[in-house]
Amino acid sequence: MSDMVERTLTALPGLFLQNQLGGPATSRAPFSSRLGGLIRGVTALSSKHEEEKLIQQELSSLKVTVAAPMTTLKMMKECMVRLIYCEMLGYDASFGYIHAIKLAQQGNLLEKRVGYLAVSLFLHENHELLLLLVNTVVKDLQSTNLVEVCMALTVVSQIFPREMIPAVLPLIEDKLQHSKEIIRRKAVLALYKFYLIAPNQVQHIHTKFRKALCDRDVGVMAASLHIYLRMIKENPSGYKDLTGSFVTILKQVVGGKLPVDFNYHSVPAPWLQIQLLRILGLLGKDDRRTSELMYDVLDESLRRAELNHNVTYAILFECVHTIYSIYPKSELLEKAVKCIGKFVLSPKINLKYLGLKALTYVIQQDPSLALQHQITIIECLDHPDPIIKREVK
Amino acid sequence: MMRFMLLFSRQGKLRLQKWYLATSDKEWKTMVVLAHKPKMCSFLEWRDLKVVCKRYASLYFCCAIEGQDNELITLELIHRYVELLDKYFGSTCELDIIFNFEKVSFILDEVLMGGDVQDTSGKSVLKAIKQADLLQEEVESPHSVLGEMGLA
Repeated sequence: MSDMVERTLTALPGLFLQNQLGGPATSRAPFSSRLGGLIRGVTALSSKHEEEKLIQQELSSLKVTVAAPMTTLKMMKECMVRLIYCEMLGYDASFGYIHAIKLAQQGNLLEKRVGYLAVSLFLHENHELLLLLVNTVVKDLQSTNLVEVCMALTVVSQIFPREMIPAVLPLIEDKLQHSKEIIRRKAVLALYKFYLIAPNQVQHIHTKFRKALCDRDVGVMAASLHIYLRMIKENPSGYKDLTGSFVTILKQVVGGKLPVDFNYHSVPAPWLQIQLLRILGLLGKDDRRTSELMYDVLDESLRRAELNHNVTYAILFECVHTIYSIYPKSELLEKAVKCIGKFVLSPKINLKYLGLKALTYVIQQDPSLALQHQITIIECLDHPDPIIKREVK
Repeated sequence: MMRFMLLFSRQGKLRLQKWYLATSDKEWKTMVVLAHKPKMCSFLEWRDLKVVCKRYASLYFCCAIEGQDNELITLELIHRYVELLDKYFGSTCELDIIFNFEKVSFILDEVLMGGDVQDTSGKSVLKAIKQADLLQEEVESPHSVLGEMGLA
């Protein structure tokens, strides 16, 4: 297996070189380098008018190719990539939309992947063509080939017509119990998407989300947090009983109990920590008893974040925000203010900006704590950066 | 939640775009001008969103986030994405991104789903992409590849 990877990786630079050696976009050039030729063609032009001419020419030729019965799926895939490029530059390639759907439907794995990508980029939620995608998604969700299942789940998380959710909901719910964690994770994210566009359609499966939260795979658990964050925002009191679980998970993350791959520059799962801190902030607001459950882990997070890296500062910032959102505890508030000091006094502009932002939370809670930074605040009023000045006011 | 991510060159040529919330008004070009000041804050305000910009060689990565999102972690997210691209392409340069923007899109989809970060390990993101890529090599005998990977 690993030597197949070796072979692919060594072949990759060769493939890129092939693209770069291709000539201008003429019919004599090998098909695969047409994209390369097009991009180079556009880059070489100096005026918008010339670019428009070249792209329109390209679009006309593509229009003919996609409609021709002789065009193979492989050729269609190459055309699709060029269509995506043209649309990205701002030109209309709507004649290609239906072919994107067909490509996702009929293509082999790689062609299907490009087809799905094209659909997610071209169409929007209310587009009438989107309904045509549903059958393909249903078929792929039931495929024995797990890569196809993954692709279908990915596209569902990106774009799906709200009216057709019932058609795929049972299939996706089923995937929540799949043996492969990547499928479970993508299923959770698809359900998250459904929650965002039609929350009442996923009401009945809240218990399944709880199962995802306790999943043995960290990725699946992390995915379920997206849904929880939203649900807790709408209705914090409904989830107070889960506070203990969230605190435990955060303790484990901060304590370095996760697999090492989740580390980012030696910091354990920073995005996960931030999600959890936000959730705790919402749960602990104006609620003394719930907040008391969190003080320890927040203290721990403040202490652990000692490395001098942007990511650590990001976590510290979120931690401070949480401390100031929940029921106040004086020692924690003071420790947090000391932390903010590091931000505001930092020569790095980004940190100063965040420090000032954090101070606004402090002032709302207890203006006297902010006094120690008064001088720095006043200095910032004269700062050359307008964003900093605005924050100070 | 992230609203969109754009990659563009110093001259303002768009290299990649990913919109997480349908926006009819795509006047992002004003941001190109703002993003050009190197010593200023990496965070800009645009409409009702915050835009986090980071420059890598000749490419600007811009992410628009909502009011309550953490700017600093978004900056790190951009960096994490660039690190993954680097691992995948083996020392990325702008050309790799330009000529393989669909692959770059696939990688972005594994890292960000619907505007939110999937905090999966870097290893599993690359594994997911490579598995799909390998299928390109072994198109003659797909079953053996999938069988070996335990996926069929």
